[in-house]
Amino acid sequence: MQMNEPPTLARLLGGDRRAIAQAISTIENDATGQDDLSRALAPHLGRARVLGITGPPGAGKSTLVNALLGEIVARDLSAGVVAVDPSSPLTGGTVLGDRARMGEHGGHEHVFIRSLSSRGHAGGLARRADRIVDVLDAAGFDVVIVETVGAGQSEVAIDALADVRIVACPPGLGDGLQAIKAGILEIADVLVVTKADLPGADAAWRDLADMLRLRREGRTKVPVLKTIAAQREGIAKLVDAAFAHVDATGRGQRLRTRLPHESARERMAPDTTQDESAPDRVTRLASRDPFAGFLGIECIGGGAGCATTRLRIGARHINFNGGCHGGAIFALADTAFGLASNSHGRLASGIEAHVAFHVGVREGDELTAHATQISRGNKLATYRVEVTRSDGKLVASFSGTVYVSARGHAG
Amino acid sequence: MKIVPKVLVTKIGLDGHDRGSRVVAAHLRDAGMEVIYTPPWQAIDAVVKLAIEEDVDVIGISSLATDHRIVPKLMRALRDADVTGVAVIVGGIVPDADEAMLLDAGVARVFHPGASLDDIADYIRSIVPAMREARSVTWETWHE
Ligand SMILES: Nc1nc2c(ncn2[C@@H]2O[C@H](COP(=O)(O)OP(=O)(O)OP(=O)(O)O)[C@@H](O)[C@H]2O)c(=O)[nH]1
Ligand SMILES: [Mg+2]
Repeated sequence: MQMNEPPTLARLLGGDRRAIAQAISTIENDATGQDDLSRALAPHLGRARVLGITGPPGAGKSTLVNALLGEIVARDLSAGVVAVDPSSPLTGGTVLGDRARMGEHGGHEHVFIRSLSSRGHAGGLARRADRIVDVLDAAGFDVVIVETVGAGQSEVAIDALADVRIVACPPGLGDGLQAIKAGILEIADVLVVTKADLPGADAAWRDLADMLRLRREGRTKVPVLKTIAAQREGIAKLVDAAFAHVDATGRGQRLRTRLPHESARERMAPDTTQDESAPDRVTRLASRDPFAGFLGIECIGGGAGCATTRLRIGARHINFNGGCHGGAIFALADTAFGLASNSHGRLASGIEAHVAFHVGVREGDELTAHATQISRGNKLATYRVEVTRSDGKLVASFSGTVYVSARGHAG
Repeated sequence: MKIVPKVLVTKIGLDGHDRGSRVVAAHLRDAGMEVIYTPPWQAIDAVVKLAIEEDVDVIGISSLATDHRIVPKLMRALRDADVTGVAVIVGGIVPDADEAMLLDAGVARVFHPGASLDDIADYIRSIVPAMREARSVTWETWHE
């Protein structure tokens, strides 16, 4: 085989597909050199409009992206897409399915699509997605689209990533609408009722419009649109609304809070209560948690963005199979999650959490849960919690997202 | 770091029987791989573009009729696009005479109907490190 000529920065900046793909892999694989790459890209950022699309599983996001691509290339613009798919926490395997739905325009020369698996590293993905957007931005794409699953996947918060946040909401969600309301709706700049050809679309539209009315006053108006992706209905309007938002609020919003070479991990929102130290706050909040007390969960300590809790498994924590009840382990991890996320002095409420159990636990085992912060934006923050047994074995991995309100804690 | 193989499972040509490719895709997923699956009837250029953009390690072509005969065209298109470090494997019904022709054209391996899904997964795992090595870039190459 002939040798690859080395992919240079110049080729990437010129839009060479192979160079772009390899740069993305460098970031995706956390390979050496990614910091140098980030540094090299820094002067070339902030030109693309970054559209974040989120919504519940199966909302029609990928189909919508496909339709958007059609509209974007028809306007003689180019687009790079990052589609994030969850991978199995057990095998790490996944079928990256978003791309198949974008096939119609995937072959277009002004379109670049990259599928990204969450690969089990919970929030680390948020930082990676951020840097992958950088690559596409620097490569000169006019529009960068990021698709992520919201409500149920904590890995990527498009909140901090995108210049305009589009939330897709299909008809007939029923209670699912509550989940959307709980956090994602708050970050929406444009709301879209997808699959508007299905029954219930008008009702969904009214529900969303009603919810918006309840939102804080003085915020910019959030358009609520309807789309039928297959028929391209509402697509041009959606592009207009998205671009109008970006033009009003600016491109490269993800870069605003980024110091030179700073990682997303270190980025913090300003806190409201500064008169109490984070460790003191964690201890104080833990002392007034009756449910943790009821289960026998102790708080060992904590600080800014982290907390540790402990539980000795007794007879009352055992399930009908004679092992430790999963709910006890979840509660242990959730308590650490709650303390870590509230350690900054702003009221944080969990909107989503996931746990994977790795090994069984018996009566007499002592479990420790350690929560660490993966990312923290102005409204959403993600945490990872590892639950270990006293012999050091990893018992469970937990990840969760909180909605951070502007308020502090009562009393 | 543990390498997670990234595999494109696709079908080129006119045959629309995708059961085989679906089964293979699901098995590779369960074996811990990242799989990009496409519907049948992919154009050669689309496959090349997809393989480049997704930076896959392996392209798996499923062929139950005569699709494998256009695989040499794919090999040429990959070469023309300067794609190296990507193994192409073919699975399905391939007569012996055609197998020689495919291997000649640069196909890494042909799997016949008797091959087990685990054989395919094992083979992919065995070649991926070399593919990664061949495609790897170091940070020095980012300097202009
Ligand atoms: N009737 C109708 N169905 C649609 C429309 N858009 C998407 N769908 C269907 O909805 C299903 C899910 O579509 P996707 O685009 O894969 O949804 P998604 O939100 O990307 O799904 P995940 O990435 O798996 O969360 C598919 O069966 C689509 O065909 C639409 O406008 N009308
Ligand atoms: Mg999708």
